[in-house]
Amino acid sequence: MLLIHCPYCDETLPEPEFAYAGEAHIARPADPMALTDEEWRDFLFIRSNPRGTHYERWRHVHGCGRFFNAIRDTVSDKFAMTYRAGEPRPNLDALKEAAE
Amino acid sequence: MTQPFRIPGRGRVDQSRPVQFTFDGRTVTGCLGDTVASALLANGIHLMGRSFKYHRPRGVVSAGSEEPNALVGTSRGPGRFEPNTRATMQEIWDELRVESQNRWPGLAFDIGAINDRFGRFLPAGFYYKTFMWPRSFWDKVYEPFIRAAAGLGRSPTEPDPDLYASRNLHCEVLVVGAGPAGLAAALAAGRSGASVVLVDEQSAMGGTLLSEPDVRIDGQGAWDWLAATLAELRSLPSVRLMTRTTAIGYYHQNMVGLCQRVTDHLASPPEGAPRERLWRVRAGQVVLAQGAIEKPLVFDGNDRPGVMLAGAAQTFLHRFGVKVGDRAVVVTSHDSAWHTAFDLARAGVRVPAIVDVRAQVPPDLAARARSLGIEVLASHTVTGTTGRLRVASVMVNPVRGDRVGPWRGIDCDALLMCGGWTPSLHLFSHTKGSLAWDAQAGAFLPDRKTEDCEIAGAGRGLWGIAAALEDGAKAGTAAAKALGRVAGVGTFAVEDDRTGSGVVVKELPTDRDASLAKAFIDFQNDVTAKDIRLAVREGMRSIEHVKRYTTNGMATDQGKLSNINGLMIAADALGKEAPQVGLTTFRPPYAPTTFGALAGYHRGSHFEVTRKTPIDAWAESRGAVFEPVALWRRARYFPQGAEDMRAAVARECRAVRTAVGLFDASTLGKIEVMGPDAATFLERMYTNPWAKLQPGRCRYGLLLGEDGFIRDDGVIGRLTADKFHVTTTTGGAARVLNMMEDYLQTEWPDLDVWLTSTTEAWAVAAVQGPNARKLLEPLVEGLDLSDAAFPHMAVAECTVAGFPARLFRVSFTGELGFEINVPARHGLALWEKLWQAGQSHGITAYGTETMHVLRAEKGFILVGQDTDGTVTPGDAGLDWAIGKQKKDFVGKRSLQRPDIVAKGRKQLVGLLTEDPREVLEEGAQIVADPHQPVPMTMIGHVTSSYWSEALGRSIAMALVEGGRDREGQTLHIPMPGRTLRAKVTGTAFVDPEGQRLKV
Amino acid sequence: MTAQIHTFPRSPVTVAVRPLATRFSLRLRPGHRETGEAALGLPLPHRIGRISVEGGRQALCLGPDEWQLDAPEAEADAIRAALPGSLPHALVEVTDREVTFVLEGPGVLDLLSIGIARDLSRLEIGRGARTVFDGVQAVLVREAGERFTLSVWRSFAPHVEELLHRGARELALGL
Repeated sequence: MLLIHCPYCDETLPEPEFAYAGEAHIARPADPMALTDEEWRDFLFIRSNPRGTHYERWRHVHGCGRFFNAIRDTVSDKFAMTYRAGEPRPNLDALKEAAE
Repeated sequence: MTQPFRIPGRGRVDQSRPVQFTFDGRTVTGCLGDTVASALLANGIHLMGRSFKYHRPRGVVSAGSEEPNALVGTSRGPGRFEPNTRATMQEIWDELRVESQNRWPGLAFDIGAINDRFGRFLPAGFYYKTFMWPRSFWDKVYEPFIRAAAGLGRSPTEPDPDLYASRNLHCEVLVVGAGPAGLAAALAAGRSGASVVLVDEQSAMGGTLLSEPDVRIDGQGAWDWLAATLAELRSLPSVRLMTRTTAIGYYHQNMVGLCQRVTDHLASPPEGAPRERLWRVRAGQVVLAQGAIEKPLVFDGNDRPGVMLAGAAQTFLHRFGVKVGDRAVVVTSHDSAWHTAFDLARAGVRVPAIVDVRAQVPPDLAARARSLGIEVLASHTVTGTTGRLRVASVMVNPVRGDRVGPWRGIDCDALLMCGGWTPSLHLFSHTKGSLAWDAQAGAFLPDRKTEDCEIAGAGRGLWGIAAALEDGAKAGTAAAKALGRVAGVGTFAVEDDRTGSGVVVKELPTDRDASLAKAFIDFQNDVTAKDIRLAVREGMRSIEHVKRYTTNGMATDQGKLSNINGLMIAADALGKEAPQVGLTTFRPPYAPTTFGALAGYHRGSHFEVTRKTPIDAWAESRGAVFEPVALWRRARYFPQGAEDMRAAVARECRAVRTAVGLFDASTLGKIEVMGPDAATFLERMYTNPWAKLQPGRCRYGLLLGEDGFIRDDGVIGRLTADKFHVTTTTGGAARVLNMMEDYLQTEWPDLDVWLTSTTEAWAVAAVQGPNARKLLEPLVEGLDLSDAAFPHMAVAECTVAGFPARLFRVSFTGELGFEINVPARHGLALWEKLWQAGQSHGITAYGTETMHVLRAEKGFILVGQDTDGTVTPGDAGLDWAIGKQKKDFVGKRSLQRPDIVAKGRKQLVGLLTEDPREVLEEGAQIVADPHQPVPMTMIGHVTSSYWSEALGRSIAMALVEGGRDREGQTLHIPMPGRTLRAKVTGTAFVDPEGQRLKV
Repeated sequence: MTAQIHTFPRSPVTVAVRPLATRFSLRLRPGHRETGEAALGLPLPHRIGRISVEGGRQALCLGPDEWQLDAPEAEADAIRAALPGSLPHALVEVTDREVTFVLEGPGVLDLLSIGIARDLSRLEIGRGARTVFDGVQAVLVREAGERFTLSVWRSFAPHVEELLHRGARELALGL
């Protein structure tokens, strides 16, 4: 059972209150009909699936109800940080340097 | 029985309180505070069971939860039988029944022991080699034989009547293990004001201190210091002490699972008390002070009853006041066993000799041994033991360099062995913390940590009470400081400490044919040293492969005693150093854990949530048969008298088509979509157009995933310009709301619209049938129900039977129909009023099965039954539900994907069997040509199939490749023993023009 | 629903059902909060978990744009009429969706720990949270040091109630 920081509640809370919601920063195209079949396929199905740092979405479904984003390591399962939906993708290296 | 091996006045058991239990039917007397093992030993009983493979006689080896041999069946009353209980852990009480295992007809004479004589034919990998041929023998001969012969204990046959509990617990510092290191850590952290949980799997706290009363701490005897320390810990309000509690797993972010044995030690537990409780502890810091586990030595006959770990003998002596024999020989590679010999000698046990495999032994120990009349045999080995059901003598040989000299026998009734100590780092390993081989300690020690934890005491390879106390205090202080607490480092003055060291050995050197030796490594799985060497000879290189090939470490003790011995021998056989070979992976649980503890409260009626509607009680009182739908239970049909399902459903169907039926539709998902942008939002979510839908009207809504496949459907009513009442399928309610929230929050956060689940705010009664209006009209106030004023697909707020209501004119049956939503608290009262009023109109309650038949007769799909996540609106014949003028909606782009527009997709069609009485099986496969060779090309499957009472014949729906182009064709449905024929039709079987709705 | 109280001898915690007056779910943008407050005559706390009380009305902030409003039944119509049509919002009555349990006594934190993984000792008096009790979504309010309310959706109430009673009996045994 992970502990997850909800950026809206500003609290670190147990995993059962949350639901995973797939990779982050995949915006629905503004005009899907303008996309080629290949572009639409990539939007629908192609995901990065990295070993290590993963930008992903969670929802505090049994809490404030908000979707938010997280950076998590897929090997250690550890969260590096969480941030609100709509905020730009943080630069993890810059964050690490700042921390050091 | 007189407990001849109990020493009066010794031990921590209450010798004035006898306890009687039975062992294999015979009454045995122990003392309050005894375990089964200590009580049997007090009575001179070493033989406690037979081994797994060779059925060799076995006695107790250890005094703790690592026990591999003394596994017994325990009965705590009717239904409360448990196999493989560790005799060293089960506390005794009056009337506890204990039985030995793996023996027939009796423990002393066992037929299965024949395996022992033929042991040379049962080597490692035996199963893989022997039972390969002939292949046909496997099912009938080999497997039944193996299953009958193998296994450990017997399974319980009755349902477990016990209760199990679980809780969450939060603390700043969790300390695992209440030996000297754990106690010192808890003291340091507790004194800093931190909330501390200290757990120990034994019935008493103290760990090693319970077995070493002669050490003096801060000027007090060890047990006085222990009592004072526990009293101080108890006096600290933020400290919680938990005994009989095993830490079974260490998970992410300092969550540790604990299994607390609540009542197994009680003769008569209070009614309603849980047997065990699982704790999920979340700790700021964890201190692992689990100590070390003594290693056996590996020599021929090291498994004979009476051969046991030296530390266990010391525990039985000091903690339980039991001597494990009258003549005890010690064989060791470590100083610690020397102290055991001294303690036994001083307690009146004859100790003829200490055999030490080391050439050099500490001179002070040797001198002390001699002063106690113990012969010191340094640089010696043990090459065998004798005795049938109990060790009778030990063969001891001198070793000079590589040469083993001639043996001599020493009579004994106990042989105490010590191969050094293995730091207990199982929990640390659960966290993926790495271990590093420490040549000095001769052990794997903690290296890189992944969690906020400290390891203290023997777990770090430290030896002696003083070192453990000091290290524990340091760990407790470090944990408190890491949490921002102010903590001082405690110091302890320790006298008469027993420090020492030892060497790591593989199997002991012998002068005899090693291939004949039965030198056990894994006692529980009967794995010997030569099995390990054979596995290496046969090509196993990885320690994980050696483990699986030999089953070393795969028994219920998970290799607590055997791991390092197995590794040392495998490394020797491979010609490598131990660290290059490495360890196998430790996984939770640390000790065997009952399924009951893991299930907790979730069994029986509480296995999972059962959701019931406000009308459920009425259905139950009318004898409804229920079915689960998602988490709900729904009335499936209402049998009358001796009716079976088919008869009841036929009657219910007739009633709806000819009079009026009443149906509980409360489980339908309901979402209130409200805000100025509500219509815009629904335009984007659903395939249908919503902008021009007038308030007071409803429309069927179809929801796709972005991939173009059908996700859900339901009727949506527009109440006002900015307020919609959306319904979803019963099972889809939560999923649809989540999907809508996702789009709203992350794709269109600019829209002023909000979603509120109202599924449970409303109870819903569906009144369906030609008499529906006649029934309803007198009950409705504030609304003209005529077809002109309130046509099909209208919605209005009004009063029904005196209750505020949202009334929908909708039909999932093809008949004139209404769905009445009232606040849930009024649901049952509304239902009863409708039932009353309907008596003169032929009202009949119907369930989900009838609802399914009626909708199938109309060709209405059930999402999840006629669709499976790969069905598009086109496949389902629902193209009409797509707003052709809409520029975008969820899934629209996918409807032009190459796969979706390709020819030959499976399409939903109707099927009419050639024999009208034949009802197809749902899920049955469909082929075009029944004469093709097997495996046939399957072109689809039946999704829905029923007896249609309205048509007097069967009907079915199916997904078939290019289905609509096959209309009129005959297809084939192969079933066991016969092949059925059916004609492809449209899906609307009854009233395809919908005339019955226009009344 | 009538209040039913079950107590057990020596029970360190009691479990009762509290009859609901009227409950609404109120949604509006944080930027419109002050307009909503003025219309309702009730402060709308902007921090999740905070509660405000004014007269008989109470607002619990459950999300950045979400409040649970509780009021006496007599004020229900006034609340429905209070918010102007020009204010984009959603006000949905959910009284009938909910069943509220009152849990009280020295063992209340232990009882809740059976089903809730959060550390509830950290929940301050007078605050609330939406969370999960034994897999069931619930809204929890700490009314006093040893008194909480736990609201769940109607159909989940029997499951939750059964477990609460079992837990209360277990706590009474003191094992």
